[in-house]
Amino acid sequence: MAAPVAPQLYRQASSASNGSGLRTNGQRNFGDQDGSPQALSQRGSARSSIVTPAPYDGPHLRSQYPANSTENHVEYILVASFDIDRGSIMEHQYPGPISGDENMLAELMLPDQAHVRSMDWTIFFLHKDTTAEEEAREERKRVRKIKKRRRELEKAGEPIPDDEDLDLEGLDLGDDDDEDMYSESTADDSEGPPLIYVLNLVNTKQDQTVKRGAIVKAMAICTRHSFLHIYKPLLLLALEEYFRAPVVETLASLYNAVNSMDLSLMPRLSSLERNILQTSDVKDMFVEKFSVMIQQKMADDEHRLSQNSVPSSTDSPTPKGKYQPPRDTHEFESRVQYNGVPVPIKVPVAITPETVGDFSLVKLISTFATPHASSPQPFTIHPHLTTSGPYTHPIIVLINALLTQKRIIFLGHNQPSGSVAEAVLAACALASGGILKGFTRHAFPYTDLTKIDDLLKVPGFIAGVTNPAFAHKPEWWDVLCDLPTGRMKISPKIEGAPVTEGLLFFQQNGHGAHIAKEHSVLNGDSKSHPSNDPTGDTVFMDSVMNSISNRHGEPAVRNKFRAWVHRFTLIAAAFEEVVYGASALNIGAAETDEDMYNYGVGGHGLVWADEPTRMREIQANVGRVEGWRQTRSYYSLIRDLARTWEKGECVRGIDVGYQVDRLRTLRVGDAGAADIYMALARAVERAGVDFDDPDYENPLDPDDPDSEDWQLDPETEVRLLKREKARHEVINQLLCVMPENNGGLFYIGLGLFHKDVAVRQAIVGLLERINAHEAGRHFWAQLGRFAKLAFFRVKRDGENPQNRASG
Amino acid sequence: MGNSISKMLDKIFGNKEMRLLMLGLDAAGKTTILYNLKLEQDVTTIPTVGFNVEAVTYKNTKFNVWDVGGQDKIRPLWRHYFSGTQGLVFVIDSSDRERIDEARTELTRIITDREMKDALLLVFANKQDIPGALKPEEVSRLLRLNDVAKDHTWKVQPSCAKTGDGIFEGLQWLGAHVQVPPK
Repeated sequence: MAAPVAPQLYRQASSASNGSGLRTNGQRNFGDQDGSPQALSQRGSARSSIVTPAPYDGPHLRSQYPANSTENHVEYILVASFDIDRGSIMEHQYPGPISGDENMLAELMLPDQAHVRSMDWTIFFLHKDTTAEEEAREERKRVRKIKKRRRELEKAGEPIPDDEDLDLEGLDLGDDDDEDMYSESTADDSEGPPLIYVLNLVNTKQDQTVKRGAIVKAMAICTRHSFLHIYKPLLLLALEEYFRAPVVETLASLYNAVNSMDLSLMPRLSSLERNILQTSDVKDMFVEKFSVMIQQKMADDEHRLSQNSVPSSTDSPTPKGKYQPPRDTHEFESRVQYNGVPVPIKVPVAITPETVGDFSLVKLISTFATPHASSPQPFTIHPHLTTSGPYTHPIIVLINALLTQKRIIFLGHNQPSGSVAEAVLAACALASGGILKGFTRHAFPYTDLTKIDDLLKVPGFIAGVTNPAFAHKPEWWDVLCDLPTGRMKISPKIEGAPVTEGLLFFQQNGHGAHIAKEHSVLNGDSKSHPSNDPTGDTVFMDSVMNSISNRHGEPAVRNKFRAWVHRFTLIAAAFEEVVYGASALNIGAAETDEDMYNYGVGGHGLVWADEPTRMREIQANVGRVEGWRQTRSYYSLIRDLARTWEKGECVRGIDVGYQVDRLRTLRVGDAGAADIYMALARAVERAGVDFDDPDYENPLDPDDPDSEDWQLDPETEVRLLKREKARHEVINQLLCVMPENNGGLFYIGLGLFHKDVAVRQAIVGLLERINAHEAGRHFWAQLGRFAKLAFFRVKRDGENPQNRASG
Repeated sequence: MGNSISKMLDKIFGNKEMRLLMLGLDAAGKTTILYNLKLEQDVTTIPTVGFNVEAVTYKNTKFNVWDVGGQDKIRPLWRHYFSGTQGLVFVIDSSDRERIDEARTELTRIITDREMKDALLLVFANKQDIPGALKPEEVSRLLRLNDVAKDHTWKVQPSCAKTGDGIFEGLQWLGAHVQVPPK
């Protein structure tokens, strides 16, 4: 198992180290698009027809699914049927046979007990091996792309700076091109080639004219998009059509229809932006990006029309105002023309890793929480799983089992296979929180006995089955989740937890346990958990159940688990620092603690009231943390963090999450608060400054009105744009640690009332930056009236006497 | 706790529980037998994709009956259902003389499996209503039960799943011969 992963790891590492070069590539894009006067004038005319907040001068925005992409939305359409003599057989595959075991596929497409219901949906994943042939094709494609880009640059008369030439050469040598720069943001490529997601619909039709009275047929769509549920209405229509016309052309027409779906106006978001969009209810968050996509599209359209007098047959001229920004930026609306029926499609804009299909966490949680609430049953004790004793909440047991990579089976006897698949997908998202990866890759949303031998070879899986035979085989699973009864069971045959250094450290008489036993210095500290709930999970689950019963909705629950998972990773990092002295989950912690970049504050990680409280919480988590530290999701997080770090996207030398948390939870005092406020303001002001550059303290201010007439040399221009982008990212980071549901900008706003005028002025500057940010303006809008009044007062006071202290 | 009380009551009233596995070639009538047991009426069945499982109580004995699809490609799956099975119900289409050899091969494979060594064997010589159907004696001879099932307690029961004839007799025989109560 380990061997094939190793080269992958190496490749990731090499692409990460190349991060800085790739970033320059991205910037070149706006150089050739927006720099030419032609492009500008076209945008000018386009702007009049649609409503946009402001003229756009920023970088060229990329689509999540560019129209000219070589990648299809849907890769294969399959049809299988249940033959009364031969069992499950594959009838048709379009456009060609999918590699792999055809019988296995046909069996998956015809789930157990398909004969007892007229319709059933299933989902399963295929792991397609990237063969040498494919790699060669990819390589050719890449070289073609580079050559094309080079030609474009030359044609546009753009100067090609030296370092870019180097980049192109680097690419020629086989490094990842800029397509890959974004790939981490769209797919979890961290562990191998992307999965193929299969959405399958099976229909059973009673028909007395055929032998044995029924026809069972299934049609499946194979796609690399994790939002495969959008194809449901199309699959319904197409399978119906196939019963009428059981020929391969029926598959072809569906294939062509779904692949003509246009998602090119959906902008690409960075992972921070996706995070912000997901945690926000604001309907027009990032609407600017959508408007820019439309502007670019219209400019392209006009450009094409002016270039060739005869429009090409595939692209008919488009009327102006055809494109509309979405009503809700969380979903991108498109449509697919199938068999003369326009089928509306809604694609989620911000997709987090490990989110596949349209499951419901609320449903999953309710299924297991309800029986637990009415009559709790004790679990078999296991250090990784029952972290709050035998009556640990089953959802916590489930999330622990996922974190520590146990073998988990969801059993739904007499339920449609679609419902077990949904539970599996929900479980993956639950433990991922959009942060951890590696669950869906080892998930089998629906499987049956035919695959048991292969399933058992997978170390740690999440599988959905409908066959109760699985319940009788406790040697096949570690945790069995029975959906009809809502009961969870830990296998009597589960492997025990190994004794580790961390466990010993926190055992009776261990050093950690000793500190944990001390009393907290602070009395009545609300953050410290009572002795019967050292992990805080009981309180957490209560708040989740409260959210559910008050109908806060699915996003609210998902956000809660995201926060839980995030906190868990920070606890694990703290644990590693305590027991092992350092943690790979805290990259750059040393320089942050030493305040190497002179932000005026130090510290990182989670905020605790005092040392005993900290040790108690870590001690309560030792079991699952130690269990997690050997898993795929642990290693993939380390890899992701390292990659982000290498790319230099995150602000270094200050842990903004930690500082904001201190403001939120601790009494830091006037001086302490002043340090934090100044540090946060500094983090935004200094963003993108190269500390190795001798004159970084004296950067050109792009907001300076005088600089408009200034003829900037290209180098300075690049540097300014780079800073602009970096500042944008830092504000994104700030917004991520101050979600709307956790007070938003409230704690920043408090800085407007600080007794030190310099702090108040710094906060005014910071809030202005945030307000000028496309997502930040929504946060500003939600800031209380009181804080806003203070803002304008401080700003006025600052402007009246003299020039502001800071530029 | 509640569980153990009900087990005690089961002992007093002689309630038993028995796990049955029903196998046979495709279209032998397994699912029809199952639903005749469950619903005591004739149902029109269609080919089973995967399996059916139903609990049937008859004369103080609760039978958990597993009915698994019979197409030859899915027969290798049968072994996954063996463990814990106390009685094998093997269903023969008595009107299909051509496939009786195929049936014997499959039955031999099942009944000689180690996990099935303690199981009772009930053969339903089904579809007796069809003219020319094999008689029970012929079935036991053609299946060579004296040899194949020599280590098992076995019986051939003539049946007609559509009318229900013979089905409950077979069940009664199983209930009477089941030895060890399930753990």
